[in-house]
Amino acid sequence: MIQMTGVRSDLMEFFDTKKHWGERDVKVGRAWKIDELRLKSNEDLHKLWYVLLKEKNMLLTMEHDAKEECRPFANPERIDKVEESMNHLEEVVKERNRAYFLLETGTSGERTGEEFENWLGLPEYRQHEEYPVPKEQNKEWYKAQEEIPTSSDYEKKKFYSMLRVKQRKDARKGISAQRASVHETLKNFPDTDLETLRETAPDLTPVEFDKIVERVRSTNWENNEIPREIKMWNGQFVRRRQMTWKKKYGH
Amino acid sequence: MSSRLYPLYQKGNPQLRVFLPNFFMKLLRPTSNQPPNQVKFIVSNGMSKYDVENYLDKIYDVKVAHVSCHLQQGHTKASTKGYIIKDDDFKVAYVTLPKGATFAFPDIYPEQKEEEETSEREKTIKQIEHSFEELKKRNKNRPDVPGWFTI
Repeated sequence: MIQMTGVRSDLMEFFDTKKHWGERDVKVGRAWKIDELRLKSNEDLHKLWYVLLKEKNMLLTMEHDAKEECRPFANPERIDKVEESMNHLEEVVKERNRAYFLLETGTSGERTGEEFENWLGLPEYRQHEEYPVPKEQNKEWYKAQEEIPTSSDYEKKKFYSMLRVKQRKDARKGISAQRASVHETLKNFPDTDLETLRETAPDLTPVEFDKIVERVRSTNWENNEIPREIKMWNGQFVRRRQMTWKKKYGH
Repeated sequence: MSSRLYPLYQKGNPQLRVFLPNFFMKLLRPTSNQPPNQVKFIVSNGMSKYDVENYLDKIYDVKVAHVSCHLQQGHTKASTKGYIIKDDDFKVAYVTLPKGATFAFPDIYPEQKEEEETSEREKTIKQIEHSFEELKKRNKNRPDVPGWFTI
């Protein structure tokens, strides 16, 4: 069945259809997939963009008003779906543009940029822009340069050493997290495929990985459960004793 | 278009054309003292008056008499932990419709549906109360036993 949206040209397009007003649940489909959009012509994509744009505006309006009036907004994931399909559409347009530019000019028509060292000595990426005046003749550019903070070599050195410490710490944290995740998954799902599990923890060495596997498989988790329950002070332990007492005396 | 970089506009050049605009517009509930032919919007921060006018005219087919925009600062809040949080700035646009045209903000939350919801809520509350009283009956003859104790 082909579903057609009626053409409305009015400010009422900023609102949902009347039957969805005050509703808690609205039935919606999925976002556009990128492979589906690749089949469409440029003209169709251009039309679809405006349909999606109007839908997004409508959803944003309804969401804002619901927030202001302290009401529930039905299916907020609709906004994510629209944005996802818009991103996919833009990606397809970019692909086509890139192919055309590579054929005609030999360069992708993308915006150029360069990497430079900022005042902290860190590499940063800057996209090229057009300016009405070249920077040698631009007084404001010189003024802006003076306002950029500077740092001495000693300060840069110190900053770098501290940064390296932080990076090493973070890396260490990542490894320990991977180790823990491998341990937990093996404990809860002992039949997991080891090759796929190894791929999830790329920073662990194979020797270390095998060690964890051995350790987890050698321990008997079923026997370990009993002392844990006794340690816990909640209803479970008490209930068990009551049950035995009831069994013993029969009332 | 592909990289969303448009050539710099110099006076006398032809107007720039946007093929896939990523601007948004939100229609807001009217504030007090707002005439019926004026509509309030929140728009993308990059939009100018002329952008708002063209957007409404070309995409929504709504004719516009006058637009006035201003950039409004986001609210700042002092957190309990000793730092300040600032919301994002946003642009507000007041659009005046041409002579004779008016716009009334629709009643999005009809009362009929609201009543249905409240009746349903009352039903569930009654059910919960009923089930709690049934639960209390279990320990009726054992006054000293705590509430969580059930066999």
